[in-house]
Amino acid sequence: PPPKDDALGLDQEITVVKQRRPIPKLDETLLLSDAGISKLRRISKDRLRLKGKGHEYGDIARMLNMYQLWLDDLYPRAKFADGLVMIEKLGHSKRTQYMRKEWINEGKPGYNAASDAE
Amino acid sequence: MAQTTLDEWARDPLVDPEVRAHIYSLVSALGGIGDDGTYALGDDAMVCLKDLRKWLKLVDAKHNRRDVARSMAEANLVKGDLLEILAKISERVHDTLKHKLAVACLEILVPLTWPFEIDPLEATAHQYRHGPYLELAQIGYKRAILHFDRARILQTAVRIALPSMAVPLRERSQRDEGVIRIALYFIRNIAMLAPPKSVPMDIDEAEVSRSATIDTFQEQDIFQVILSVASSIGEDFVNQDVVLLEILFFLLKGVDAEKLFMEEKKLNSSNTSELKDLISKEKAMLASYARTAPTRHNRFGTMIWIKRDDEKVSTLSGQDVLGKAQKSMEKMDTTKKWNKPKGGRRKKDENDEREEFDLPIGLTSSARKSLKAFVEEFLDSSFNPLFLHIRQAMERETERVEIRHSRQYFYLVSWFLKAECARRRTIKERAADPKSAEVLTAEDESYGLVAEVMNQKTFVLLNRFTHKSQSEKAWQDLNAGMKCFTQILLTVQEMSEAGLEEDQEIAENILNRIFYEESTHDLVVQILRSYKDQGFGYLDACTELSHVFLRMLERYAKQNVDLQVRSRKRARKIKKKNDQAQGVEGEEGHVSETEDIAEAQRTSTERKFDFARFSAKFVNQSSVNTFVAFTKFFRELNHEQLKRAHRFFYRAAFKMEIGVLLYRVDILHLFNKMIKGPEGLDPASPSYKEWEEFIRHFFRSVVKRVQDRPELIVEMLFSKIPATIYFLEHGHDKELPTRT
Repeated sequence: PPPKDDALGLDQEITVVKQRRPIPKLDETLLLSDAGISKLRRISKDRLRLKGKGHEYGDIARMLNMYQLWLDDLYPRAKFADGLVMIEKLGHSKRTQYMRKEWINEGKPGYNAASDAE
Repeated sequence: MAQTTLDEWARDPLVDPEVRAHIYSLVSALGGIGDDGTYALGDDAMVCLKDLRKWLKLVDAKHNRRDVARSMAEANLVKGDLLEILAKISERVHDTLKHKLAVACLEILVPLTWPFEIDPLEATAHQYRHGPYLELAQIGYKRAILHFDRARILQTAVRIALPSMAVPLRERSQRDEGVIRIALYFIRNIAMLAPPKSVPMDIDEAEVSRSATIDTFQEQDIFQVILSVASSIGEDFVNQDVVLLEILFFLLKGVDAEKLFMEEKKLNSSNTSELKDLISKEKAMLASYARTAPTRHNRFGTMIWIKRDDEKVSTLSGQDVLGKAQKSMEKMDTTKKWNKPKGGRRKKDENDEREEFDLPIGLTSSARKSLKAFVEEFLDSSFNPLFLHIRQAMERETERVEIRHSRQYFYLVSWFLKAECARRRTIKERAADPKSAEVLTAEDESYGLVAEVMNQKTFVLLNRFTHKSQSEKAWQDLNAGMKCFTQILLTVQEMSEAGLEEDQEIAENILNRIFYEESTHDLVVQILRSYKDQGFGYLDACTELSHVFLRMLERYAKQNVDLQVRSRKRARKIKKKNDQAQGVEGEEGHVSETEDIAEAQRTSTERKFDFARFSAKFVNQSSVNTFVAFTKFFRELNHEQLKRAHRFFYRAAFKMEIGVLLYRVDILHLFNKMIKGPEGLDPASPSYKEWEEFIRHFFRSVVKRVQDRPELIVEMLFSKIPATIYFLEHGHDKELPTRT
């Protein structure tokens, strides 16, 4: 028990409870950040070269590899299949759905004109 | 280790020492090896038996303990005394005193072999403590009873009940009924006991297997008893129907009905080809490993870099990744240590659920033969009366019908329908063979033998059962219901292809009734859509049901172009009116109001059935997910099952033109893995070719679509939003009718 005159409790020992380092989460914020979807959109435009007819399996393999590397950069913890499940789940939230619609609309013809006019 | 001395008992009281002492003294007073080397009854054997029974009843049953049962198991009561007594008097059970003695033995045997289960509501520590020991002891009982060498125990049990069975139903006393019941339950217990999966056994499993049970039943004429009771159900027997149902269920569950009716030669060849398939599958698997296996020893220590974007590199070790880009990508993935935690404890008891009836059981050839003979006779003589009787009992909700019985009922209906179809096929084949002397008779041609389960009443019951189990989330029940429904559909299909005109007409009628109710269509779709972690057996059943249902409906709708369906339309107006009236009217009005609402909800309209509309309802995101979950098991699926999945995906991608539902990275990943490995489909298997073709086709459409609409790259990560599906599929928005 601490002595009574030690009102401020200065002599008491302070026990330091170490907090566990929080595990990084694959969540909306991460997915919608710069390293997330926008990066995917970028690399798919720049790097993904599809050969088309006659090379179906090669094309899909390239596509899958792109996804895998992108996911590995985004969230290195998870295996490819696990990561896909987690991302698919994130796609159900309101915010992501709104963004998804936006991205689709961006691809529509006349979208730029409409946004310029505003 | 069995405890043997009084000191040990007192030191470590697993069981109340006094209970144990009492039981032991009773058991030793019962009798023993006599002067002539055979078993000699004790002076007060009858009283001892009565006492032992009282102990079981008053201590174990009343206080929810298993102490007495355990002491009896330790004292070797069953093998050492009861079976010996039964053997001694088995030839002379007609003697009144002997008969009494035999009944008393059975009265102890039945509770001792009663299936051990712990009721979670009333479980006591005693039950958990003695559980594993008793389960093992029961298997020991089963073994002793099946293989007892001095007498036929099961037959003796039946012989004990025979005098009571001979009494006409009306004159039968309570006691007679009791004796019959106890004999039948004894048979059921023997059929039901199966080696526990939680405890290792030290006896040969073949001695207590299904085959051994069937062999013994055959040898001791138990099948004859089952047949004669079942065929005269409703006349001489009434309350015994559920016991028979259970005996049949535990005899037949897991047995492959198709194989049972295969000709010996054909079965052998099918077994051989199965073995061949398995060997070639294994070879293909090993070859696929060997292709990438290291060519040098495991300490060769190769290490490579993979250059990635932004000047980053990943390192990988092992020579197997050298020069193989795809392999290194796989290795990068498989060496990750973290696994996504799988929620729920469902995974753990999946095997328990399979145990119910999805676990296949193999039979020896002798068991197969006798079981086949039994099933044939059963179909010929007893199927209709027994299943009619049980159905009526279920409809009346009789007290003796318990919850598990309806599941067993529907499982058995599906099993016997399958068996009947298989049998007819073999008969047909034999008749088609010019060398054989068999000729088809008119009776063989009709489906009258199973008519009792192909009528409207059964369909109504099945319908109610399926709806109920779905809303109660009783998945095993639903599984049985689906199996039954699928089998009914398949049987109807075979009927419509049968030679007899009458059969075709009946088949047509049944289909009319099944497809007329739109609620049935909705139910099938609903079940398929709502799959979530119910285990493989359930998944198999629900995909099969929807496959068979859709295929038959498609054909039927083509033949009957003006097919009408009855759809349920909720009349909200009537309800509203009633709501207003409620304030005015009193108690009396309340009754009529609920009736009105029921009436309103029953209001239904007929409208033209549109197959295209229905199949559109059928192919949606959740049903795709279900089939994807099913296809994930592709390594364990057989040709038939793979075909089922193939047809569904084909329908989705190319017939319905909503392939966009399948544009998802995980599905692409799965498809790619099926063809290109690692551990993909065996290229030599017949399914491989059609899948390869489909997947190539599908991949081509994906690549093309992605090139046209780059926004798919993002959308492929997710399930699609309904609002954008149309745009993604067609590249333009749906044209809405413009208002003027």
